[in-house]
Amino acid sequence: MPAFSFVQPSTTDEALAALRLGEPGETMIVAGGTDVLFGLEGRRIPLKRVVSLRHLPWKTLSWAGESLRVGSTLPLRTLESDPDLRRRIPGLWQAVRAVGSVALRHRATLGGNLGRSSPASDLIPILLALDSEVDIVGMEGERSLPVDQFVRASRTTALGPGELIRSVAIPEARPSAFLWQRVRPANDISQVGVAVAYSPSQKGWRIAVGGVVPRPVLLPQAERLLSGPFPGAAELRAAAQEASMRAPFATDRRATEEYRRQLVATLLQRAVRAVGAHPSSPGVP
Amino acid sequence: MTASPARLTVNAVPVDLTTVPVGERLLDTVRWRLGLKGTKEGCRTGDCGACTVLIDGRSVLSCLTLTHEFTGAAVTTVEGLEGDPTGARVRAAFEKEGALQCGYCTPGFVVALTSLLKERGAEASAEELAEDLGGNLCRCTGYAAIVRAVRRVHGEMP
Repeated sequence: MPAFSFVQPSTTDEALAALRLGEPGETMIVAGGTDVLFGLEGRRIPLKRVVSLRHLPWKTLSWAGESLRVGSTLPLRTLESDPDLRRRIPGLWQAVRAVGSVALRHRATLGGNLGRSSPASDLIPILLALDSEVDIVGMEGERSLPVDQFVRASRTTALGPGELIRSVAIPEARPSAFLWQRVRPANDISQVGVAVAYSPSQKGWRIAVGGVVPRPVLLPQAERLLSGPFPGAAELRAAAQEASMRAPFATDRRATEEYRRQLVATLLQRAVRAVGAHPSSPGVP
Repeated sequence: MTASPARLTVNAVPVDLTTVPVGERLLDTVRWRLGLKGTKEGCRTGDCGACTVLIDGRSVLSCLTLTHEFTGAAVTTVEGLEGDPTGARVRAAFEKEGALQCGYCTPGFVVALTSLLKERGAEASAEELAEDLGGNLCRCTGYAAIVRAVRRVHGEMP
């Protein structure tokens, strides 16, 4: 049984103070805990303290016009149950539903998923496609970073040692979709995830993929090949081919690089078509 | 740092946490400290659902939960569903459909389905309920009878 102290701050100041105790690596920050609370015994650096974010007042969700702000410790199940999410940002709803199981989503959080920065994350691709911003709080003050700058590599983010993710801002509700492929459909890790969103304000597509190394990425070259909200078959095929060539896939125990390249081409075309067919799409009466 | 009392309840019985090590998983507290062996240890990594319990009425995986995270909360294990009307309906449906082979996964399924019914009531279709049980594995692959039990309990919902 690992011995450590357990800190449960109830205010932001208390939480930031708790992060300053001890040396880096001795403290584990726990939001939902679903990705960090196993294997406590096998750590290289002995754990001295666990800081649980559960009692912070960050389990929030608020719509303001076209934008949505999600508190970092809101359980994903609460986010997916929001009465407007499925209709207004279908891709985010699909991505949240893709994470683990219901029991897992009763605890797992958006902040935890971003903070852990897995290359196979089902949430990071859609957050990229929605041009989301990470709201960060630290002893030196607050700052905001686009997800594209926040996520750096596997298990590596721009978050400083004294900082916490407080919320995630999604600036615009976009017609969107998230599709994935897995060995087992339920409660498994995606081999490839494809997120697409059409921005009515910028009149352009955003395309992001997961299951790549070292981190999920946007594919601007493929985005530019799609001219409007309802791309034709030739345009779609060109974008799919571009994405298939460009995405930084690799072979691992879940899938080969070649299989992933074929997957992304298929999933991208299906996802873009799904956005065009969805009731939230521009032009659909 | 917080004023929450160092206790929680399991099946409405108070548990004093001052004697529980901070690194202890809720699964171990329930099984070994309290002797409630209905909750099973399967994968230990959140992939199988055998360890599902309710915390404040919602399903969670007790293998990925530290007991001390939930000071002040109400934990319900499969044993605690005995007096719960929804839980009783789910148990009866599993019984009538013979929805178990070795039975190891059954408490997890019963607790997870009870949570879904409490959360969504009759608004969810039987198909959605079955899909949302995707986090529970049956290594005997006895899913057909489990899905029948889901349909039965869904059809009997008030």
